[in-house]
Amino acid sequence: MKKVRVGSGSSGWPDFKDGALDVAQNGDIDYISFDHLAELTMAILQSQYAKDQMRGYIPEVIPLMRGLLPIWKEKDKHFKMCNNGGGANPPECANQVLKIAQDLNLGGFKIGVITGDTIPLSRVDELRKEGWKFKNMDTGEEDIGSVRDRLLAAYAYTGADEIIEAYEQGADLVIGGRLSDNSLYCGNFMYPLGWKFTDEYWDRIGSAVCVGHLLECSSWSAGTCSNLWEEIDYPKGNPGFPIAEMDENGDCIVSKTETSGGAIRVQTLKEHLVYEVHDPENYLMPDGIADLTQIKLEQVGKDAVKISRYGDKPRGKPRPENLKFCLAYNDGFIAEEITVVCGPKVFQQAEKAHEFVKRRLDYLGLKPREMLWSLIGWDSLCGPTVGSPPPDYDPPELGIRIAFKCDTEAEARACRTECGHLCWASLGVGAGFTQPPRIRPVFALWPTLIPREAVPLSLEIKETK
Amino acid sequence: MAKKRIKLIDICYYRSGDKGDISNIGLMAKTEKAYEIIKREVTPERIKSHFKGWVKGDVIIYPMDNLQSLEIMLYKALGGGATKTLRIDQTGKAMGNALVKMEIEVDESEL
Repeated sequence: MKKVRVGSGSSGWPDFKDGALDVAQNGDIDYISFDHLAELTMAILQSQYAKDQMRGYIPEVIPLMRGLLPIWKEKDKHFKMCNNGGGANPPECANQVLKIAQDLNLGGFKIGVITGDTIPLSRVDELRKEGWKFKNMDTGEEDIGSVRDRLLAAYAYTGADEIIEAYEQGADLVIGGRLSDNSLYCGNFMYPLGWKFTDEYWDRIGSAVCVGHLLECSSWSAGTCSNLWEEIDYPKGNPGFPIAEMDENGDCIVSKTETSGGAIRVQTLKEHLVYEVHDPENYLMPDGIADLTQIKLEQVGKDAVKISRYGDKPRGKPRPENLKFCLAYNDGFIAEEITVVCGPKVFQQAEKAHEFVKRRLDYLGLKPREMLWSLIGWDSLCGPTVGSPPPDYDPPELGIRIAFKCDTEAEARACRTECGHLCWASLGVGAGFTQPPRIRPVFALWPTLIPREAVPLSLEIKETK
Repeated sequence: MAKKRIKLIDICYYRSGDKGDISNIGLMAKTEKAYEIIKREVTPERIKSHFKGWVKGDVIIYPMDNLQSLEIMLYKALGGGATKTLRIDQTGKAMGNALVKMEIEVDESEL
């Protein structure tokens, strides 16, 4: 039976770099995928690119490829790679990787460069004139009218079509922009197994979408961020990244290398299968809609889990007509301050400090749009679910974190300054002021949809001499 | 039948994340019996009341029999979402921790 081994190389920015190198060196892989982008990263990269056309890609791609390409050469150029580290500037990212390949004398090294997922704001306006509405999928707002004059960037989450096309044209590495995390894997399963976007294959593509989800967060399926954290071992301090061996029927074994730490258990995969999927019967990705309730997990080895069919329904349905589209817009500034209260009576001191700051802001006429006062050591992570502290509870110290959102940077700074004054005003509160994080502009996201045909993707092959 | 108050952490594992202002919690039962209990006891109303104002929108629960897990979505639950929120936990990674402290009442024979 035809099989393909696909390794996970990276999730987000930055990830453990040694994970990818271990997978490439010891994982006996045919393909490896690298996700480098979080939800907001593209907006940051687009603003970098607007200032400097040599930037706008993920800088970590370069050292990663410097480590990886010698292994690729040593493995007789066997495995293929794809990433979305091109961000807002895949061509320049490819140029820099080509230099590394050139230095290593990798003649004929081919990179497929995918562009077109960044949509100019002028095109967004045209689409609106043509009648398309960018309905906010979070809030239900019908269109972007309320934020149009604050828009910064717009990008579509694209599918595996161009990855497959790049491989067909002989690419060894594919560099894209906002290629969906999941499609980096779907492409690597679909191309070698010969799966097409047709009725015959939706069940298997559903499985690919599911397994792509399991692999796209790298070590998160192999025991990091796990409920089993305390019992899982990392003898050398290197978390394992998952590797999936998919067969032509869409069944698969997920494992990891013996040289890495961590673990592949039913539990470590299960906890990722329930992660951020929303409606599990309709897990929407650009290449297909997976039904994650039709997936069975079964331990078949120490670090090996079989993934097969659970029920009698198809594991996948035809891919959605539209692509996910994100518009980023300016939404004011956030300032933060952290201080540590020294006991005794930490809660009483913190409450008094809270009152004092509120009165200072009123006195000075400062009106932050939002303010959050939270106590590190009590409610900063779980909020009101923790309730009030018991009357006899007085820990030796307590952190106070204060955050403000304001329309302008100056106002955010002024609010923060008043928190700094707490160290003059109070007895124990000023004992441990830290250097505050820098005031940050808020890039808010407007998640919406765009028709596939409105995203003009293109593929170019670059090659070393 | 003797009743006993337990916390979800006694019978479940969890992992939580986000999409925009939606918090997403996967609640995984440790046993088949535990799955029956959480399907019955973990309701949108109880979850919303447990979060005391931190969850401003709807709560939707999808059961996953194949994994003996519940996929729980909390709308308007992250203070505006990762990029806008003032919370330290910008992506709702601790929302699962917050949920599993929820108490439920079960028959002792069920455990």
